[in-house]
Amino acid sequence: MRAPRPAIKDTLAPTEIRRASDESASALPALLVKAERVATVVAQGEHGRRRAGTGDSFWQYRRYQPGDPAQSIDWRQSAKTQLAFVRENEWEAAQNIYLWADRSPSMNWHSSPELPTKAERAAVITLALASLLVRGGERIARLGTGQRPARGRAVLSRMAAELTLEGVSGTGMPPMEQLRRHSRIAMVGDFLNPIDQIEPIVRFFAQQGNTGHIVQVCDPAEETLPFMGRTRFEGLEGEGATLIGRAEAVRDEYTALMNAHRDALTDLCRSNGWTFTVHRTDRPVESTLLTLHMLMSEMERT
Amino acid sequence: MLEFGSFAFTSPWLLTALIALPALWFLLRVTPPSPRLVSFPPVRLLLSLQPKEETPSRTPWWLILLRMLLAALVILALSHPLLNPGSALRGTGPLVLVIDDGWASAANWPLRVEKINQLLDQAERENRPVRILSTAPRTPGEPVQVSNLLRAGAARQITAGLQPKPWPVDRSQALAAIRAIEINGSAHIVWLANGIGDADTAPLAEHLQTRGSVQLIEQPGPARALLVQAPKSENDVMNVPLLRVPGRQEQTAWIRAVSDDGRLISREQARFAGGEGATSVRLTLPGELRNDVARIEVEESRNAGEVFLVDERWRRRPVGIVSGDIAEAEQPLLSSIYYLERALRPFAEVRRGTVSDLFKREIAVVVLADIGKLIDTDRESLDAWMKNGGVTLRFAGPRLAAGGDDMIPVRLRGGGRVIGGAMSWAEPARLLPFEETSPFAGIETPADVRINRQVLAEPALDLNRKTWARLSDGTPLVTAEKRGRGWLVLVHTTANTDWSNIPLSGLFVDILRRIVGLSAGVVSDDQTTLLPPLQTLDGFGRLGSPSSDAVSVLAKDFDATRPSPSNPPGYYGLDAGRRALNLSSAVTSLEPMDDIPPGVERAGFVSAPAVDFKPWLLLAALLLALVDLLISFFLRGFVGLRRLGRSGAAAILACLLGIPLADTVNAQKWAQNGAQNGAQNPAPTPGQSTRPLTGPDAAALAATLKTRLAFVVTGDRALDDVTEAGLKGLSDILRRRTAIEAAEPIAVKIETDELTFFPLLYWAVSPRQPLLSSRVRGKLNQYLKTGGTILFDTRERGGFASDATGGVGAAGLHLRRLMRGLDIPSLTHAPQDHVLTKAFYLLNDFPGRWAGGPVWVERRGGRHNDGVSSVIIGANDWAGAWAVDSLGRPMAAVVPGGERQREMAYRFGVNWVMYALTGNYKTDQVHVPAIIDRLGQ
Repeated sequence: MRAPRPAIKDTLAPTEIRRASDESASALPALLVKAERVATVVAQGEHGRRRAGTGDSFWQYRRYQPGDPAQSIDWRQSAKTQLAFVRENEWEAAQNIYLWADRSPSMNWHSSPELPTKAERAAVITLALASLLVRGGERIARLGTGQRPARGRAVLSRMAAELTLEGVSGTGMPPMEQLRRHSRIAMVGDFLNPIDQIEPIVRFFAQQGNTGHIVQVCDPAEETLPFMGRTRFEGLEGEGATLIGRAEAVRDEYTALMNAHRDALTDLCRSNGWTFTVHRTDRPVESTLLTLHMLMSEMERT
Repeated sequence: MLEFGSFAFTSPWLLTALIALPALWFLLRVTPPSPRLVSFPPVRLLLSLQPKEETPSRTPWWLILLRMLLAALVILALSHPLLNPGSALRGTGPLVLVIDDGWASAANWPLRVEKINQLLDQAERENRPVRILSTAPRTPGEPVQVSNLLRAGAARQITAGLQPKPWPVDRSQALAAIRAIEINGSAHIVWLANGIGDADTAPLAEHLQTRGSVQLIEQPGPARALLVQAPKSENDVMNVPLLRVPGRQEQTAWIRAVSDDGRLISREQARFAGGEGATSVRLTLPGELRNDVARIEVEESRNAGEVFLVDERWRRRPVGIVSGDIAEAEQPLLSSIYYLERALRPFAEVRRGTVSDLFKREIAVVVLADIGKLIDTDRESLDAWMKNGGVTLRFAGPRLAAGGDDMIPVRLRGGGRVIGGAMSWAEPARLLPFEETSPFAGIETPADVRINRQVLAEPALDLNRKTWARLSDGTPLVTAEKRGRGWLVLVHTTANTDWSNIPLSGLFVDILRRIVGLSAGVVSDDQTTLLPPLQTLDGFGRLGSPSSDAVSVLAKDFDATRPSPSNPPGYYGLDAGRRALNLSSAVTSLEPMDDIPPGVERAGFVSAPAVDFKPWLLLAALLLALVDLLISFFLRGFVGLRRLGRSGAAAILACLLGIPLADTVNAQKWAQNGAQNGAQNPAPTPGQSTRPLTGPDAAALAATLKTRLAFVVTGDRALDDVTEAGLKGLSDILRRRTAIEAAEPIAVKIETDELTFFPLLYWAVSPRQPLLSSRVRGKLNQYLKTGGTILFDTRERGGFASDATGGVGAAGLHLRRLMRGLDIPSLTHAPQDHVLTKAFYLLNDFPGRWAGGPVWVERRGGRHNDGVSSVIIGANDWAGAWAVDSLGRPMAAVVPGGERQREMAYRFGVNWVMYALTGNYKTDQVHVPAIIDRLGQ
């Protein structure tokens, strides 16, 4: 059997290493730049918490009400008028959010050179999300690294560098890890493994009280199976190969299977209070990111 | 080799592979097309599918057919089919080329050269050594020899230097030469014969047969050589006998008489009836025009036999007759004038009148028949005229006997002498045979000539010396005295039958002819004079400066001289009294080559060139393979119809058309650019400067950044290569010797390329070059008008214009056609003091590969273009002489030869470039003293 041919090379050529190291040495790797651009678009459309809470930034003054601690009265503001005012800061509850991007060989694939690989797209989504979260002041960490969630742009840069340099590895399944309770998880990958393999992982995290989001990144060819004629399909992770006499003849059947797999994933997420989103690499990242961000915000409010 | 008529397979055993085709059919049928490989992440999903439909695992029949066709084509191609194959060389020994390079081979020399080259190519392919035997003697005193065993390349150098000789072949020497050599194995002998048989033809052929298989290649019928024989003069008519090799066909040819300066004087058609080998044609040559005839030739003559050089012997000289006869009026048949006129008219123009009348026009001989005393004025004018070479012939008679003047060569006794009259016992006197020293030497004296009366000379010391003819008793009958350059001759008897019967005999005519022949610079008095070669004919019948091997001939031996390497046909002697040696003196009959022994294969020169199918078949196979590839791609789904339609088709088309397409595109670009520039519109298109320099810009820079010689591409590949090599050689010389740092020469396509960059162009004229379009003609006119100089080289010595030699070759004619519509000013021979002779080196003539051809330049000179002639035309093949190969060795032999000639050719080249680049400053008076000093004057 032929070895699967990944679309991105596992090892980087010397010139690419140089370029990659240059990029990581700079403050913003190329991936991060891309992610930041996406995040900015989304951030303009979606603004902060807009509610009072514990935080450093000023939110509003409001009339003193019985029950408010006296320390909370802002004397300078109250002195200007007859009334007593309380100064409220914006609510800034930092969350622990774990991010995971699938780096398995099957992600290193695109059906045509015009499209980005799934891995690249997954990395962009992850980083953009991370960027958004960092702007929101959340603590983030990569799932499976054992690092504690941290805040600030340094995390972002480190994450970008790691994703750029890491290359292809892994099984395509998120590692099971003991996390802080009530953390949140965002997993970006192709999730093409059988549902039996995905279910225990989701359940494991859900039982710890963590909520999560699954983003399935898929190539348009994986949805539509546009191949014609006599074709031998080979997996990229050693799943095996199959020879299809007329690829166009199995197209409908395949689409049905794919939809069934997605339905199963959707059901799994719903039953555990998670969400499931599909992203196609020929669509813009922004919409997916916006959806994801909305979902995460909503989940918080509830 | 397997042959079917004119079709043959070179490696027929490969055709057996065709048997394997059915097996291929079977193999192709059972092997399905290999699937397309696709990596696909969600392959798990596909693994769970049970495919319902398979593509047919069998290849469609038409695809199999296509592939079988492909295989068949490849097999056919490898078996190397040829149309019109030259049959392979037979035998195991060397290829022996027996080449008749005598005069009769000149007519179709190019065909011979082509054939020789074909054979040498074949020898090269089959790796066979070559021996060459040219049957005409080459150098004086050296017998015909067979060359050593040569490789084809070396043999080609020898054959390239072969030229037809203006003398006959010598097959007996050739036979001796080939007897003397040893040949290992049986040779393949090709005899390129001239179609003329002789006594040694059959022995030679028989001997050749003992050495190997013989192939005799003859000239095709109608192009066989003609031979012009010595014409016979009658009054106003020249009767020109013509010979040919007797053949069945009728043959016609135009015979013409041409003057020294190329003027056509008379032209008649000669016609050989079928089967005849001889005919004659009557050329009517009125009056004095006849004396202008310098040569009689077959129109478009191509060999030395078709040219007959005419010398003084065929000229009619004006002879004046002055008679004192009274009887003339009453008895015209008895008068001296009657006899003289009848005797002189066949070879001379006869006039009558008084002495003063005759001197009003040019006259060569004055005959005074029995004039007693001349008046003083007549005597003075006769004296002066004789000093300049006139001949006065006096006949005695009653009046002279009665007492003449002193204008006689010897003193006479008074009265006559009667021999054998009624009052005498003596018999009438006879003539003694003429002495060796007499101008009449060689004329038979008829036995029946009787002289009855004569005038007697006084004995004197020098009487013997002055006597040209004697009677049997020793008394002088003809005496003569040299007067200045002329002669005074006295015949001691009458010009009518009164005193003797000489006027009735043929002797009278012969004597008169010799005496007339003495006049004005015909034959020097001294028979021991050496006649140096003046101008000689080459094998093609072109008159040129004598070849280096030609030697002088003793005057008395001249009539016995036959054309040979040391005495090629041509003019000998000094300009005033030149004598012609013609080939017809050596060849008096032409026989066909009939007695060739059986077993000799006979063939013609013209054979269709071999057509090699191999590359075409391979190309077809390649195209089919591409089609097959495309179909496979399509079947395997790599190429969708839509993509194919868009980019694929273009790419594949480009692949298929390959370079030709690119070429056309480039050519179009060039053409557009050329048109732009030609229209004086050099405005660059916007953005042009920012682009990297390619195409026309690069070419323009290459042409202008350094001084380069340029030549016009004629389309004749071999010629262009030689020209390029020639200019390369000249550029080397220029770099080495002059301040001109000439870079590599450039080939210029006259149709498309821009000409303005080149101050001078070399244009070797090839008959194969297509004629110019009117646009190109306009371009050339513009080029010439704005200071360009073109050197046209017809490469055929002897000239293209109607010069003295009259011959015009194919290239010359083509040059005329090419030049039609060009604005060429009137041309003239390059004068002796032309700037070309002193622009860098001092030169007397301009030899190239050939020497002696004229060089034509513009007549006007003057101020226009600094006096540089816009057109220089010559025929000496200069590039051939300049051409050097990559090692700097000369590529072509120079003719007649010698490194000096090559050096002179280079010097001409240097002068030409200097002339074109610097103009006429060398003509400035400033340089004259230095030049004169160097000339040693």
